[in-house]
Amino acid sequence: MNWLQQWAGYLPQMLSGLGVSLFIAAVAIVAGYPLGLLLSVMVQHRNLVIRTLGLAIVEIGRGAPALVILYLVYYGLPKFGIAFESIQAACIALVWNAAAYSSEIIRAGLQSVARGQTEAAYVLGLSGRDTFFRVIMPQGMRSAIPGLMGVAIQMFQGTSLAYAIAVPELMKSAYNIGSEDFNYLQIFTLAGICYAVISIPATWITVYFEKRMSRHA
Amino acid sequence: MAKSTPTEAHRVPRLGIQLENIRKHYGDHVVLDDVSLDVEPGTVTALIGPSGAGKSTFLRCINLLEQPDGGTIRVAGHTIEPGKNIAPKDLARLRSAVGMVFQSFNLFPHMTALKNISFPQQRVLGRSKDEADERAMQLLERVGLKDKAHQHPGRCSGGQQQRIAIARALALDPSIMLFDEPTSALDPEVGLEVLAVMRELAADGMTMVVVTHEMQFARDVSDTLVVMADCKIIEQGDPRAIMSDPQEARTRRFLRAVLER
Amino acid sequence: MDALLAVVQGLPMTLWLTLAAFAIGIVGAVPLSLALTSPIAPLRWAARLVVDLIRGVPIIVWLFLLKFGIHVGTFKFSPVNAAIVGLGVVSIAYLAEIYRGGIQAVPRGQLEASKALGLSGGTTFFGVVIPQAFRIVSPSIATYLVGLLKDSSIASTIIVSEMVFQSQSFARQHPTVEGILPYVIVGVIYIVLSLPVAFLSRRLDARMRKAIFA
Repeated sequence: MNWLQQWAGYLPQMLSGLGVSLFIAAVAIVAGYPLGLLLSVMVQHRNLVIRTLGLAIVEIGRGAPALVILYLVYYGLPKFGIAFESIQAACIALVWNAAAYSSEIIRAGLQSVARGQTEAAYVLGLSGRDTFFRVIMPQGMRSAIPGLMGVAIQMFQGTSLAYAIAVPELMKSAYNIGSEDFNYLQIFTLAGICYAVISIPATWITVYFEKRMSRHA
Repeated sequence: MAKSTPTEAHRVPRLGIQLENIRKHYGDHVVLDDVSLDVEPGTVTALIGPSGAGKSTFLRCINLLEQPDGGTIRVAGHTIEPGKNIAPKDLARLRSAVGMVFQSFNLFPHMTALKNISFPQQRVLGRSKDEADERAMQLLERVGLKDKAHQHPGRCSGGQQQRIAIARALALDPSIMLFDEPTSALDPEVGLEVLAVMRELAADGMTMVVVTHEMQFARDVSDTLVVMADCKIIEQGDPRAIMSDPQEARTRRFLRAVLER
Repeated sequence: MDALLAVVQGLPMTLWLTLAAFAIGIVGAVPLSLALTSPIAPLRWAARLVVDLIRGVPIIVWLFLLKFGIHVGTFKFSPVNAAIVGLGVVSIAYLAEIYRGGIQAVPRGQLEASKALGLSGGTTFFGVVIPQAFRIVSPSIATYLVGLLKDSSIASTIIVSEMVFQSQSFARQHPTVEGILPYVIVGVIYIVLSLPVAFLSRRLDARMRKAIFA
């Protein structure tokens, strides 16, 4: 039996795994970006307590391996009476990850907005809130777009780690199939292809945006 | 065309600027050393001098973009003593009474020309969108850029951007306008468009303080010429008198250097 | 205390995985980055495809592929070797991309000046481009090393007894609250380990700047 035929047989189970992976990645991004924005504001806050808290969340989220955060959430929090489904744990861990990484990108984006913009808003008498939400943020987020797209790709790939806590995502599906008929080479190659057909075009789109932005800068 | 001091006090209340003993330093580096200046309402004051003299910093102290370390500022009826806490409400009122135009325009790149002018009116003065848009269109027409209303700043030339920036500042009905080297980032012939708008504004009796390198503008339009060097005002008075017969050696050197270029 | 001891037992393996893979990457990325910047278009495209393919597949998939998928005659990868080779290959792709960025970031004027001075292609590349490119990319390389340190934790999924693996075994033996302690500790160790590299990269950057622009 050749590989293509085998792959065709594996595909339904793999696709359901891919669906779970995409779901987790989507949750990580949809919740991670706004939290990242919040964290980027926290780490620049005047109040020391807020700043320190923000920094701690960001530094743990970026500094500790995703796998460690995953275990910490999955095995750790239930010890304090907070119980999870494994898929919820995976979502929480990746949201944390995504928020931490995107906060750094958003912070850099906000800081890249020219000082003159703040000054112009100031001399016009705009309030601090208007200055941030209507002047600085729209510009800063624009330059953060390629970086944030990068985080999305990273999160999609990161969902593969949820295998380690038995979330039925793509990697786990592949492993289950493999342990039935021991065609590990075929099945993990197929898994790789599944990840690649999403990641690679996404990377190209990111690069395209990056180039377009630098041209219009 | 020397401009007569306008006496008609209709429209906005005419209030001048008094700056007394303004001091400013960054660490050990003194930027402003006890500088005082009186600006009569309805007059144009041109600030000239070599770079590093403190002209821009001085100008930026007027609307507190820079916090002076000492002195007193009386602007448009508000008195501010640096170092003392200023109520945010007073600060906001001061800012809306003083318009400012920057060397680098600082238009909001994500808003159209119209929105640039209309948005601050809505947020700061509480005007309705229609009202603000109408005023914006009037001002765009006044600076000759009605056709650019729906363009983003990135699609406008530098001279056009600066004229939009002037319109944006005027939209808040300031009683005083500050200009920080408004033509320095522009090609000479493009700068003329901007200077023409400023001349009109001066003729209408706007109180203006202009940091500039445009000697002809300073001579023709300003009522008072102020020469700054080494963090101080070294000479001030009638622009023609100073330019034809400077009293200070430092002024003479500066003028010779500028005029020879 | 027991938890800390358990985790630290995995530290040498974590460091070994990281440094071995890094060494593979640093060297292996050189030819790949040259191909990425080659004037020969097909070579450039092939290199691009390789880089994108390696980076498009999660590390855990590479490790499983090597560990379980490669079975040639009697040859099979040991977990440690599979991890080193897998992390090494991934490093090659990421570092090649970093090198490429550095080479292309050297201003065009430098090449034109070299040509005007009559320098040979080799002298231009090794004497002019590489030293400047290295200065540009050294912070990115340091950042990548920190990332690699964290990614080495994925080797625990193919039973390499590095720090995270040790944490798991400890946790399994202690199903009480104490069981989560190793995960906290191991997280802290990763963060602490990454600090000196970050510091070094800043120092390196400053030194390079001085060396070149003094």
